[in-house]
Amino acid sequence: MSQRTIFWLALLLLPPVQALAQGLPTYTITAQGGRLSPDRLEVAPGKIKLIVHNAGQVPIEFEHLGLRVEKVLAPGATSFVVTPPLRPGQYEFIDEFHPETGRLLLVVK
Amino acid sequence: MLNALIIVWRESLEALLIIAILLSWSNRQTDPAPLRRGLGLGAVCGLLLAGLLALFIATAHDEFSMLALEKIQAGMVLFAAALIVHMVLWMHRQGRTMRAQLESQASKAPGALGIAAIVALAVAREGAETVIFLQGTWASTSAASLPGLAAAIAAGFGLALLTLWTVARGTRRINLRVLFAISEIALLFIAHALLAAGIDRLIANDWLPALIDPVWDSAAWLDDSQGMGRILADFAGYRARPAATLLIFSCFFWAFTLWQLYGRTAWHNGIARRAHATNIG
Repeated sequence: MSQRTIFWLALLLLPPVQALAQGLPTYTITAQGGRLSPDRLEVAPGKIKLIVHNAGQVPIEFEHLGLRVEKVLAPGATSFVVTPPLRPGQYEFIDEFHPETGRLLLVVK
Repeated sequence: MLNALIIVWRESLEALLIIAILLSWSNRQTDPAPLRRGLGLGAVCGLLLAGLLALFIATAHDEFSMLALEKIQAGMVLFAAALIVHMVLWMHRQGRTMRAQLESQASKAPGALGIAAIVALAVAREGAETVIFLQGTWASTSAASLPGLAAAIAAGFGLALLTLWTVARGTRRINLRVLFAISEIALLFIAHALLAAGIDRLIANDWLPALIDPVWDSAAWLDDSQGMGRILADFAGYRARPAATLLIFSCFFWAFTLWQLYGRTAWHNGIARRAHATNIG
């Protein structure tokens, strides 16, 4: 098997991140009507898992570029993201399709 | 309404920038027609691909589909980065042989194909997000407001074209060699931005370890969520809190491309000079 074949096979068989995201503090965010709820979360430092559910009628894009979070969700879809280890501070997640109203402030202390 | 305009403007700009650079380079070649045809073909294929991708995103509800989507998007972005680097190196070699007597037709085909592929991927990438966003916005806009929305979309695209036309006008007087050098560097920055986005997706899905994360935190000086920092993040691959893995790939990227573009000739010229000096002496 050539090196290239092995590379492509490995890529296709990569483990889904579910298996590796057990045991993290988990929070659920619901997007509806251009808003995110809750729109403010206080968490402890470290990695966290955010389950994002789009309960609205239009697609959303849940994003924080610097934390490598980017998910487009069709109406009714649910997915999750895992953040990198968070240091104390404030991080603002945005629904890129509704940037004025769709914000989540994550306070890490 | 304004939101629609801004999003269409921003997404169009990213794809149009690549198209503008490749178009201006093609126009300065001895036979631009096949290259321009490749560009047009790429744009059309890109729009079709954008539609397909948007459809996939809109119907992906279960975790398996979403995972497949993550792999496809990461793959597209990294492949696009590799294509652009390949193209820049090819363009650089073409530049030096431009004054050669014969330009065989065979050397045009990889150029046109490369341009088509890069444009297709760029349009597909930016287009898919735009299509999804517009479909959602269109569906949730009242019938009375639809003409306003259509106008906002057209204005957003028009603004992107205007921005590029302004830049093109400004660079018209610049001499050929300088223009080519700027184009090469601009394309490399775009490729690096794509590399950063791809590596970010691989790390986010746990397909690559982050190692030290972050290596530094420059958000206080230049925040990558907004303003100039965001522009640098989108178009150059700047990250305020980069993971070590990203920095490693970044270093390899620049070391490889800069060596290929400028290091090799300097090396060979240095050897030639030394050989010449030895022969004389």
